[in-house]
Amino acid sequence: MIWEVFRQAKPGKYHTHCGNVHAPDREMAKLFAQIQHGRRMQTNSLWVVPQEEVSEVDSDEATFGGSTDKAYRWAMTYNRVDASFAAEVEQSEDEQREAAKAREEL
Amino acid sequence: MTPTDELLFRLADDEYVIAERYTEWQIYAPTIESDLALANIAQDEFGHARLWYDLLEERGYEEKNLLWERAPEDFRHSTLCELAFEEGDWADPVVRSYLYDTAERLRLEALVDSSEPAIASRVGKVLSEEGYHREHAQSWLERLSEGESRERVQAALDRLFPHALSLFEPGENEREIVSEGLRTESLFDLREEWFEITIPYLESLGLSVPEPEEVERPEVRGRDGSHTADWFDLHESFTSTYHELGFDQPTRLRGEGA
Repeated sequence: MIWEVFRQAKPGKYHTHCGNVHAPDREMAKLFAQIQHGRRMQTNSLWVVPQEEVSEVDSDEATFGGSTDKAYRWAMTYNRVDASFAAEVEQSEDEQREAAKAREEL
Repeated sequence: MTPTDELLFRLADDEYVIAERYTEWQIYAPTIESDLALANIAQDEFGHARLWYDLLEERGYEEKNLLWERAPEDFRHSTLCELAFEEGDWADPVVRSYLYDTAERLRLEALVDSSEPAIASRVGKVLSEEGYHREHAQSWLERLSEGESRERVQAALDRLFPHALSLFEPGENEREIVSEGLRTESLFDLREEWFEITIPYLESLGLSVPEPEEVERPEVRGRDGSHTADWFDLHESFTSTYHELGFDQPTRLRGEGA
């Protein structure tokens, strides 16, 4: 039986897929994954998931992002606006920067 | 030999020799995953051996005399560690590791408060890696003890158990090791604790454990330098390259000890 393995490098980060292990059951999958995927890379946590439990939708059946021009989604126009015209906007941006920094430091 | 040196040789030689045996499974274990897991355990044990041999070096021994040029009859490991595997008998490393690592934990816990600070300070590092070894062995044991593979596990247990008893065979300085507080428990007490853990556990898996007092013990005990023929073969094989290449000194890995 194949178990897909997802590794989280640091607390708060996403678990990202890093490979798989063959194991007869969940407990053995966790044991093997520790060695195969957690030994050499920085690891805070691993998930093991039975391969058949993973559902897939791919680009043959879906049109990811649609098929017409939606460049407005990127909203680049609003980047790097000088927020000093409105104190509450400036304050909110400061708070977001602080929060992002705190997440990084975790 | 001083009591401290005796204690260290028992620790280092056990770890080194069992790791040397485990590595024989590389590329032969049942699956790539089990291969990696056992290889990783072997690496851990080599690391532990290094830790104890390093301490012996600090006490005046030289590396070449600790391993490469030491006579095989001067090694003090238990005979459990040295036995050759029968080809393809995966139950053997599983049972061996369970018996060994359970004893290993008890022994290390009795060294946490050693009167020798250099020993006490190293124990934590070693203990933290031992948990995986036991979990690994027990996970396999529980699965192999179901169905037809149980007979193989039973055969391995019958063969290995008498040798495992030599883990607790006292050496010349056992009395001093305990009275000087180098180890805070006697081998006799450690063996009793080991029985209390291993026997009920193995029986709960449907295995029958040989009666300790009635076991026919091999004449060789390891701890006094007497060993099975398997050990002399293994010693010959792991020292042969060293002798063939005619090293004056053992080579060291780059970065090692840096």
